[in-house]
Amino acid sequence: MTKQIKLKAQHRDERGKARARKLRREGSVPATMYGRGFEPESLRLDEREFSVLLGRISAGSTLIDLEVDGAPARKVLIREVQRHPWRPSILHVDFFRINVDEEIKVAVPLQLMGEATGVKNEGGILQQHRYEIQISCLPTEIPGGFEIDVSELEIGDSLLVSDVDAGGITVLDDPDSFVAAVIPPTILVVEEEEEEELEGELEPEVIGEEREGEDGEAEPEAEGS
Amino acid sequence: MLQPKRVKYRKLQKGRLRGQAGRGNKISFGDYGLQAIEKGWISNRQIEAARVAMTRHIKRGGKVWIRIFPDRPITRKPAETRMGKGKGNPEGWVAPVKAGRLLFELEGVPTPIAKRAMELAAAKLPIRTKFVIREAD
Repeated sequence: MTKQIKLKAQHRDERGKARARKLRREGSVPATMYGRGFEPESLRLDEREFSVLLGRISAGSTLIDLEVDGAPARKVLIREVQRHPWRPSILHVDFFRINVDEEIKVAVPLQLMGEATGVKNEGGILQQHRYEIQISCLPTEIPGGFEIDVSELEIGDSLLVSDVDAGGITVLDDPDSFVAAVIPPTILVVEEEEEEELEGELEPEVIGEEREGEDGEAEPEAEGS
Repeated sequence: MLQPKRVKYRKLQKGRLRGQAGRGNKISFGDYGLQAIEKGWISNRQIEAARVAMTRHIKRGGKVWIRIFPDRPITRKPAETRMGKGKGNPEGWVAPVKAGRLLFELEGVPTPIAKRAMELAAAKLPIRTKFVIREAD
């Protein structure tokens, strides 16, 4: 079952990008909290505290007790964390406020356990197609994650969503979709082939233009004179 | 080398690379990635050189994804030509890359090998990059 985590936030009245940027410069993160039957609320968080928390938990599937300005804690899930495209900074956070006795849909992480025989003995590559699984359950019953054993897999074998032991929890993903597979090893391409390819490079066909265009292409050669 | 099979126009205007990569900025296929932290044009030759450097280092095993495609034609005027007389001839292909864009992804190798392979690939590219690892969100 999920760990209970506490987080502090402050109410925020400032809106708009200029004020959001000012907040970020001050070391805060703008956030919002919403949920079915609740009024949306704008919040601010301490960036350091929040990023430390993110490092410890599985963001989308951990129930958090969010204290806003010292008021009684509300149960929330992190719905979205917006990040800078390449810097580590966090731009915005969405919290989803939940009713404890209402089923919700969440994505929980999926971890592969063991080393596949196809990788160990035959040099295959273990490819993980799915890193999380969508489930539906009560907020208090959200598992920390699922583990699936891949040690039996040989080259060409695969595991499906239906192979995951969800322990009675409803899985919403297609049971026939792939979780992981062991594929044959890639073989280094012979150099000569690469060079041939280089020489054989052609100009691509231009859509909607007849092949007669070749006559017109002789013109630029006259430029040099 | 990568290049389009069919194009609508043989020559394009230069264009501008403004802002950061709004898409293609997260690891989607593999476990490790090489992310651009600058904008620039990456030619199909550079992409190929980076790919070869990477695959040679990881030898066998591992799967590589190339997340960019050089679909923009580059023209060049012949040497010792006076200015004018129209736009030059198509000479190559580039992929316009904005900061944040994932360039390559890799799966199926240990982290130190992946990191070194990406460093070797990065040395073939004209922009600054960083090595990134998939995060469990």
